[in-house]
Amino acid sequence: MTSSAAEPAGLPAARRRTFLALFTALAIVVHTFETLLPTPLPWLRLGLANALALVVLFLYGPGAAWSLTLSRIVLGALLLGRLFTPGFWLALAGGCLATLVMTGLHRFGRGRFGPVGISVAGAVSHACGQTLAAWALLVRHDALWRVLPLFLLFAIATGLLTGWVAALLLERLKRHPALADT
Amino acid sequence: MPWNRPWLLVVLLTLILAMSWWHWRPAGGEARQVRLLMGTTVEIVAFGDNQRRLEQAIDAAMDEMARLERLLGNGYPESDPDRINASDSAVTVAAETAAVLDLGLEIAQLSNGAFDLGLGRLKTLWGMEGPAPRVPDAGAVEAALAGVGPTALQLDGPQVTRRAAVAIDLGGIAKGEIVDHAVALLRRHGIEQAAVNAGGDMYLLGRHRDRPWRIGIQHPRQPGEVAATLHLADRAVVTSGDYERFFEQDGVRYHHLFDPRSGYPADACQSVTVVAESAVLADALATALFVLGVEDGLALLAHFPGSDALMIDAAGRQHLSAGMAAWLEQP
Amino acid sequence: MTSLWACMTGADRLLTLALTLFALAGAGWLLSAPPGERILVDDGVQIVYQGGFDRVAELSFHGPMGTSRLAIAADGVRVIEAPCPQKLCMGMGPARRSGDLIACLPNRLLVRIVGAQPAEAVHDLISR
Repeated sequence: MTSSAAEPAGLPAARRRTFLALFTALAIVVHTFETLLPTPLPWLRLGLANALALVVLFLYGPGAAWSLTLSRIVLGALLLGRLFTPGFWLALAGGCLATLVMTGLHRFGRGRFGPVGISVAGAVSHACGQTLAAWALLVRHDALWRVLPLFLLFAIATGLLTGWVAALLLERLKRHPALADT
Repeated sequence: MPWNRPWLLVVLLTLILAMSWWHWRPAGGEARQVRLLMGTTVEIVAFGDNQRRLEQAIDAAMDEMARLERLLGNGYPESDPDRINASDSAVTVAAETAAVLDLGLEIAQLSNGAFDLGLGRLKTLWGMEGPAPRVPDAGAVEAALAGVGPTALQLDGPQVTRRAAVAIDLGGIAKGEIVDHAVALLRRHGIEQAAVNAGGDMYLLGRHRDRPWRIGIQHPRQPGEVAATLHLADRAVVTSGDYERFFEQDGVRYHHLFDPRSGYPADACQSVTVVAESAVLADALATALFVLGVEDGLALLAHFPGSDALMIDAAGRQHLSAGMAAWLEQP
Repeated sequence: MTSLWACMTGADRLLTLALTLFALAGAGWLLSAPPGERILVDDGVQIVYQGGFDRVAELSFHGPMGTSRLAIAADGVRVIEAPCPQKLCMGMGPARRSGDLIACLPNRLLVRIVGAQPAEAVHDLISR
């Protein structure tokens, strides 16, 4: 990290915090709006909020991605009045597993994985985490496993889309002067 | 983006409202419970948004059924049939019992004795409910039928008088009455969609979520197959079949539905399914029609508008009452 | 705007391909399994067995009164041994259609036939 001598020592950290807060707020808005969108099946989401988690992961590292995802899930649930409902636990299980896999790939993939690959892996883990939580909490029905492969194919498609959005966002943001030093 | 333009805000808000409505439609919970009552499996399923209320209503309905079983069933020390059978003079019975007797006696009369509430001694003689049923000798059957007939019981308000030789048995009708009471209790608890299923005799309250209930009718000769499918809402359906409880002796099959006029199992039908507005009526009519056979059975049914039947005769042919086709799923 | 393909590294492409093949294989394997009614056995607390009618089997379940035995065959599942005195469940005959139910409540055993998926259940209940 480079910072010019003219800037006070705390400025990059403050800037980082501010942008992280902005990205988190944006993620919550996208997540809330997406929750309202009609879907053919419950729990089927585009997962565009994850694009912001990816951006933050690439800009500020795993810690930032974790804090964005966790606050997005908790604050989003608070906003929609579903804190501690089954749907909340599903989102939490999916989000945690996805973030675990994404940060792991980012850290130990030695730079071989770009945002798209990490996004696909995250979306698939998200689907698996949700299904496991649904099995544990809601329905012990075989039908759940029967729809999982379709669920996974859908997740791969949305993961590609989300990853692409994240890649395009990163491309723009890295050229922006406010973020050029990160 | 021009956020200061009011019409854009209005459009956005409307969109969000519409999507919220889509999302928070009542999801519809479900509660179910099974108990062993009246010698069979009783299952209640109920749909609604308030899970606690569903469970409380089902608990209450099950308790009510257990109470009525002790009131209307034979073999309970203080049950009304056993008190009537133990007494030589008039017995004052509960309102529920009087209602059952009233309907039972009406059907006994209209069916010219093909339906009878006084078969207690005949049923004991055959031992159908016990571990070792057997074919009794003809003299014993005749003795057990002594005094049996539509006039063997006299009902005067809550007072019941019995002709001395006759033992009352509400087997062909009590189950339906008990199902009806459970349904009434569910209604009082605000339940709008439920099924009360007492071993295949059932009442369907409201619809199955957003469609009518789909009820299969057991095929009388092919276990595991259905003879027809009904689409029902707010109706009772009861099937009487010769395949439910039977034994074989010397190569002949004897089942549990007796013709009160002969004292032997009725052989006109394989099964009769009645759809009616109450389970008690469906229960009694299914038994009566089974004994009467197709022609006389459908004639009896004409006395009860709103009731319909699917009768499968001894040769396996299906006969429908005039209104029955409306309930059947068209293949 | 950079195309999606150009945004992906070699490792990204490999990972996506592997996951897609895995999901497709899973879908193929599950779809090849015979659909239809399934047997659920419940001990009052949780589901202790579930399976289809595609294999002939005899199963034993231990309840508070002793051992209940179930026989599964193509024509249905029936209780062939029950520890309770009344043995009503043995007299209930085979259960085959979705909506069918056999229960031995003294021994806390509940056998239910359901459709492959709840929405596919052919019949809600069977009148018999």
